[in-house]
Amino acid sequence: MTAPLVIIIVTVVGVLGLWTAPAYAQPAGADNCATCHLAIGAARLEKPVKDYAHDVHKAKGFGCVACHGGNEKEAGMEAMDPGKGYIGKPGRKQVVQVCARCHSDATFMKRYNPSLLVDQATEYATSVHGRKLREEDDPKVATCVSCHPAHSIRPPSDPTSSVYPLRVAETCGACHGDAKYMEGRRLPTDQLAKYKESVHGKAMIVKGDLSAPTCNDCHGNHGAAPPGVSWVGNVCGQCHTVMADLFGKSVHAKAFVDMGTPGCATCHDNHAIRETGDRMLGLGSDAVCTTCHGATDKGGQTAVEMRALIDGLAGRHRAARELLDRAEHAGMEVTQAKFDLNSARDSLVKARAAVHAFTVDAVKAETTAGVAVADKAHARGVRALGELVFRRKGLGISLVIILAVIAGLLLKIRQVDRRGRAIERGSAR
Amino acid sequence: MAYAIDDPSRRRFVNWFLGTSAGAFLLAVLYPVSRYLVPPPSGESAAGTVTLAIKPEDVKPNTGQIFKFGSRPGILVRTAAGELRAFSAVCTHLNCTVQYRPDFGQIWCACHNGHFDLNGKNVEGPPPRPLEAFAVNARGNQIVVSKGA
Repeated sequence: MTAPLVIIIVTVVGVLGLWTAPAYAQPAGADNCATCHLAIGAARLEKPVKDYAHDVHKAKGFGCVACHGGNEKEAGMEAMDPGKGYIGKPGRKQVVQVCARCHSDATFMKRYNPSLLVDQATEYATSVHGRKLREEDDPKVATCVSCHPAHSIRPPSDPTSSVYPLRVAETCGACHGDAKYMEGRRLPTDQLAKYKESVHGKAMIVKGDLSAPTCNDCHGNHGAAPPGVSWVGNVCGQCHTVMADLFGKSVHAKAFVDMGTPGCATCHDNHAIRETGDRMLGLGSDAVCTTCHGATDKGGQTAVEMRALIDGLAGRHRAARELLDRAEHAGMEVTQAKFDLNSARDSLVKARAAVHAFTVDAVKAETTAGVAVADKAHARGVRALGELVFRRKGLGISLVIILAVIAGLLLKIRQVDRRGRAIERGSAR
Repeated sequence: MAYAIDDPSRRRFVNWFLGTSAGAFLLAVLYPVSRYLVPPPSGESAAGTVTLAIKPEDVKPNTGQIFKFGSRPGILVRTAAGELRAFSAVCTHLNCTVQYRPDFGQIWCACHNGHFDLNGKNVEGPPPRPLEAFAVNARGNQIVVSKGA
């Protein structure tokens, strides 16, 4: 038997040994590992035991041997007999195998969490982290324990977990935001800072909106990788479906691939995605169209026309709403007009989405209906304010008449009183 | 300059003034008062409750209807199981008016393809929050929807 063949057989047997280990990954009984680690008095040995008290695996009844092997029922060094499967602290590549023994075993995992996916190891193998570990034995790439700290692993639903949505960016940023750690790699290290300033980051961090995307929503979690140029739209389209559909059918979809620019991110950026606005459309100073288009080309003219349509509807909607607000604050009943005006706002939102078709017709189809509704609401606001003026004038006129009548009555009373006194004086003479 | 108390021209003026103004007074006072007292065609208050102009039996299972809650839209849904539910019809993403999709069995926003389940929970697309849920009570032939479900 040649040496390479022996190595292969030993490796295969070893790997199979690890992968068939769920048989001993059973809930623990007596735990001599913890007893010794705490008794020795070394902080380095105590920490894993103390941390593990709150680990989800501990809660499910797993002891140290589930990952480290050995026999916790043995007191003393016999517990750590490699002959009995003790592996000590797993190496970087071994970590993935140790976790995968259980987490890739659907039958085994069903007993603890039937809804938990069991593709983490497969996904990890496709990730940049996994590939670099496998192919280059890169000592810095993340393994399971980089994101799920060994001995204090908590489920993603636990707010103290390193993979709770609010904490994912910081977890990834611990490496990817550290310029020194990332030294020698082509990746930038400003992603975390940019994400925190982005519309997604602010929704997540400032508003506490857990449905907002964080790193893993766009890059994948166990299969983390940068989205390729041609499928950025698919990533954004997970949430922004309407825009992604329109964009996918637009002239820009192919043009951006041909140019080698990353789809949605060409105009919206990737980690530093700003809140969108009409300012981005057209040929103004904040318009993203100006990156490629100018006033003389068809694209630039289309952008200007689309912007004009949207500005027109936005202006009409705003004017109608302000008018109806004034009428409402003045006490007029305009709830029906305001209710109807909602559909003009819907049209405006749809028109802004329709921009991603990059045709004037698509935008016009939405704005035409919206303008009609806004104009009708505006006319009703004008009528309501006209009614208000009429009522105020009526009140003013009636008040003048009332005051005049009061003055007349006072004069009449005075006249009657004087006449009465004159008659009394005449009678007295 | 003092007028004599029984100055005929002054007396005539005052009497004429009072006589002619009586009609004008009544007209000018009663008309605006009546216009103020009789309210203009009024929508339901934007406050807590609205009684819908829909009979419970007219809302078929697996359908939904938009109704007016003050100046804001609400949506009344009868689930396939026959239960009436009501929510604010204002999408929590960008305030578009949502609608019921019988083919999905869900509430749907056409603006950005947001989906809400029949508990109002945002389940797909960009809406960040659930729809505000209202309490629905069918009282005889009336459906009463109230805030604070």
